[in-house]
Amino acid sequence: MLYDYEIDYDTQNSYEKGLDAAFWQFLVIPEENETQELTYWHFENDLGEKNSVSINGLGFTTVQVRANRIIDHIKFNAHFKLTKKEINPYDFDLPLDVAEERALLNSIEFKTDNEPYLRKTKFTILKEHHSNIYTFKDELSIFQNLTELNTWAFGHLYFKTGVTDVNTSLDEIIENRHGVCQDFTHLFCAIAKHHGVPTRYVSGYLHQGNGFFGDSQMHAWAEAFVPNVGWIGFDPTNNLLANHNHIKVCHGKDYTDCAPLKGVVYTQGKNETKYTVMVKAAQQQQQQ
Amino acid sequence: MGPPIDKSIFSSYTKKDGLFDEVFKNNGDVKSVYQKLLDLYGSRTIEDYVNLNTKAKSSFFNQGITFQVYGDEHSQEKIFPFDLFPRIISKEEWDIIEKGAIQRNIALNHFLWDVYHEKKIVKDKIVPLELLSSSPNYLHQMMGVDPPNGIYNHISGTDIIKHSDGNYYVLEDNIRCPSGVSYVICNRTALKRALFGVFNHYKTYSVTNYAENLLNLLETAKPQGVDTPVCVVITPGRFNSAYYEHSYLAKAMGVELVEGRDLFVENDFVYMKTTQGPVRVDVVYRRIDDLFIDPMEFHPDSTLGVPGLFAAYKKGNVTIANAPGTGVADDKAIYTYMPDIIKYYLNEEPILKNVHTYHCSRPDELKYVLDNIKDLVIKPVDEAGGYGISIGNRLTKAEIDTVKEEIKAAPRKYVAQPIMSLSVHPTYIDQKESFEQRHIDLRTFTVLGKDEQFVLKGGLTRVALKEGNLIVNSSQGGGSKDTWVLKE
Repeated sequence: MLYDYEIDYDTQNSYEKGLDAAFWQFLVIPEENETQELTYWHFENDLGEKNSVSINGLGFTTVQVRANRIIDHIKFNAHFKLTKKEINPYDFDLPLDVAEERALLNSIEFKTDNEPYLRKTKFTILKEHHSNIYTFKDELSIFQNLTELNTWAFGHLYFKTGVTDVNTSLDEIIENRHGVCQDFTHLFCAIAKHHGVPTRYVSGYLHQGNGFFGDSQMHAWAEAFVPNVGWIGFDPTNNLLANHNHIKVCHGKDYTDCAPLKGVVYTQGKNETKYTVMVKAAQQQQQQ
Repeated sequence: MGPPIDKSIFSSYTKKDGLFDEVFKNNGDVKSVYQKLLDLYGSRTIEDYVNLNTKAKSSFFNQGITFQVYGDEHSQEKIFPFDLFPRIISKEEWDIIEKGAIQRNIALNHFLWDVYHEKKIVKDKIVPLELLSSSPNYLHQMMGVDPPNGIYNHISGTDIIKHSDGNYYVLEDNIRCPSGVSYVICNRTALKRALFGVFNHYKTYSVTNYAENLLNLLETAKPQGVDTPVCVVITPGRFNSAYYEHSYLAKAMGVELVEGRDLFVENDFVYMKTTQGPVRVDVVYRRIDDLFIDPMEFHPDSTLGVPGLFAAYKKGNVTIANAPGTGVADDKAIYTYMPDIIKYYLNEEPILKNVHTYHCSRPDELKYVLDNIKDLVIKPVDEAGGYGISIGNRLTKAEIDTVKEEIKAAPRKYVAQPIMSLSVHPTYIDQKESFEQRHIDLRTFTVLGKDEQFVLKGGLTRVALKEGNLIVNSSQGGGSKDTWVLKE
């Protein structure tokens, strides 16, 4: 099966006192990978400034807009069309036995090659007193443990908007047990890394099926490295494995690497940011 | 009333036992390289010297050669204290320093290439992975990036001391934004003005060719397809302690001195704003730390850098020197592995020794450090400029307890070294109107190019002006001396 999607990303930023120079970078373009093909993209900003496409430090495509005159807002819109392949998340063998898998994870070669995604960042470090909050079971494979962790994280936090923001620490999230997709994902990443599994934060769009969280905003989930299989997507906000409804933009060590909008504005006053996302399934086609 | 007129300049100089004096032997005789100098100075009185010193000082003021100290609420610009009595290094000793500095910095460059590519040194268990992954300067964004000409540490500042055993030891490798080279050149200028009659009796290497060598290096590191590159020096701004140096180097190389907001990036090319419109920039000599060069990639709230600069770099449209990510090797914990790093990549014995270092991150060494803190120097691994250093035998009991707690709270943050006895050099002390022994070190400057290396034949001799003090950094109240490297 192939799935066709249309995505709209709209943002409006206003600056109370105006600004005389600014640089914005949008990390909102779906990546091209084995399961995703971008067939159309279009960017627009209402300043009439150029939208330049650039590759960021981790290899993902961004759109940059630079303003060099006095303005008090920017509206930016991105429109994409994309074809996504059906993903069966269980379509792999688990060839290693549990002990072999553990040995691989503990080898210096494995740890070295996967270093960046084992790094404990500000948002993915478990403090000492939380280090036993969730323990992997020795008798289960890495994949089984990750699946159980996904379910556990889904149950441990309650989805609630407006109680956390980009500065909320993992500590507070664990203690208050409320959060949004990025908090579920950081929690998942922190625990998986703590158990030696390379894990990355994924930012993207979710096509909302029935009652899932994540439409109308950018969504976040995790990818964990399962030995001899590769990176597998886990969506702890919805207790799912990532599937054809998960449209990936980029990955990184945590949210910081994946923020959809980064900007440098030279202004004194407050600013306000609003954005919306719309993901529409156009039609479904049978694979040829 | 002035001082007594016939007081010769070393009449009240006292040599303390156990200190390695650079000028006088243990029996009081003058070392051969200094003999001529002492003969020439011999006929002078302290009063002559004071007059000359005052002249030299005002020349610094007039040239605006100043620096600032951080952490001081009433921070103001000061002149860098300068001592007219030079340090002389013989050709034989210099050969060791020069070869040692080149060896070390080439090894560091291999190390940097490796940790951003195959990471063999980690897989072969020479350097622990932890040390890299816990360093904020180990940039994920640099993984697999090939810097132009394969060079990361284009400019390195290697700090060297002479211990009481008469051997040179490396104290630190500064490969982020080492500063001080402008003082080397200004010290020479001031000394030549004041004491030309003395200077021209020695065959000493020139130091004024540094800027020329640096510009040459920057130009050869240009991006592909660029004919005549436009180079700039980027500074954090006039509040930075080394701002004088940034402006000096830009002027001496004949290139623009810019701040982040003077540049912009469009379509992955870097431009400088000028009155004639944008001018493309090809090479950026950055005097901004790794994590501040581009807020899109690193510290998001820093406006010191240029948004988009890193993407332009990664695309090969602009060269940044030193390469981003170089800071990972400028870490006092990495320093301790330098002898192994040199052997691993070059299959050579280190020419310059390392000071033995204890890692507080290793439990057994941590215990040794806590038990023997009185005989050790404790250093934070990631600070520069002599900030945060504690010298065990200068601490009160209460201070020792505080330091111990700090180490226990963050062991990875600290290393410890035996208290090294830096050599001493006769230094004129204003308040006492006489020469006294003061501890010194030497910061050398190495420039690595594609197929050539250059070590500035001189370097900055830094003097700890407080009696008995071992910290020579200018930010900690240090001064400097002109350093003569002899041609024969």
